[in-house]
Amino acid sequence: MLPTYCPGCQAQLKVKCLKCESCQTEVTGSYDLPVLALLPENDQQFILRFVKNSGSLKEMASQLKLSYPTVRNMLNEIILKIETYEK
Amino acid sequence: MFNPFTRIAGLQALGLGLLLLLLTGFIGSYSKVSFDGVIDMHAGTDISLVKSFSFLAIDIVSLVLVMWFTGLIISKGFRFVDILGTMTLGKAPFIILAIAGYFCTVPDNKEILNNPFIVFQSVSFILLILLSLPVIIWSITLMYNGFKISCDVKGTTLTVAFIIAITVSEIISKILIYFITKNL
Repeated sequence: MLPTYCPGCQAQLKVKCLKCESCQTEVTGSYDLPVLALLPENDQQFILRFVKNSGSLKEMASQLKLSYPTVRNMLNEIILKIETYEK
Repeated sequence: MFNPFTRIAGLQALGLGLLLLLLTGFIGSYSKVSFDGVIDMHAGTDISLVKSFSFLAIDIVSLVLVMWFTGLIISKGFRFVDILGTMTLGKAPFIILAIAGYFCTVPDNKEILNNPFIVFQSVSFILLILLSLPVIIWSITLMYNGFKISCDVKGTTLTVAFIIAITVSEIISKILIYFITKNL
């Protein structure tokens, strides 16, 4: 799992360096992490599952053995988190 | 036990809730236990099958409509079928009181009016009253959790809205029961 928060002060981390495994070129700078990467791992898994199910909450509910409103509420929480990150 | 709605809601909850509600009405009619209010029960009075089912139908309609209306005010979006299902299943614990009524001897109303302390001579009646408290609390908890999950509302808004809604639905059900079933 990609670390997204500083273990020392809990501030949000930025990407400083990216490396090409093929030619060893390194690109350095200060890049923001994508919003999806900021989400906790279980939320990321939820979004992946949501996309794989073509956005069908009913399908997800049956796969996760949860009720439809429970799954919809999980999605609402993720939307709230994303909106917070975007601010 | 207190929140089955994370796993079951909508039509599934409605089906199970209706089945238990029908049994409650049926058993209640024979055990002389009537549910004349959303969170209300009375024992010891003869009640016809039609009246028993009418009470429960009015209870559910009042509860669901008031919760649905409350949901429209405080929730961003929800399905009516979730409110309908969770509220119907939330009423299910009352079947325990309907069954318990079989084993209860209730003193005659006239005797109670003459001497209210006569109720303490019937141990089974006292036990039924004591049992009704946890059952009603269980039912309200189920309704609260059902409303919470169906409408996705949290905190003070949820608690205040639910208390108002359950109180209003109880009052409405009482009024409707009085006017609709008085000739049954």
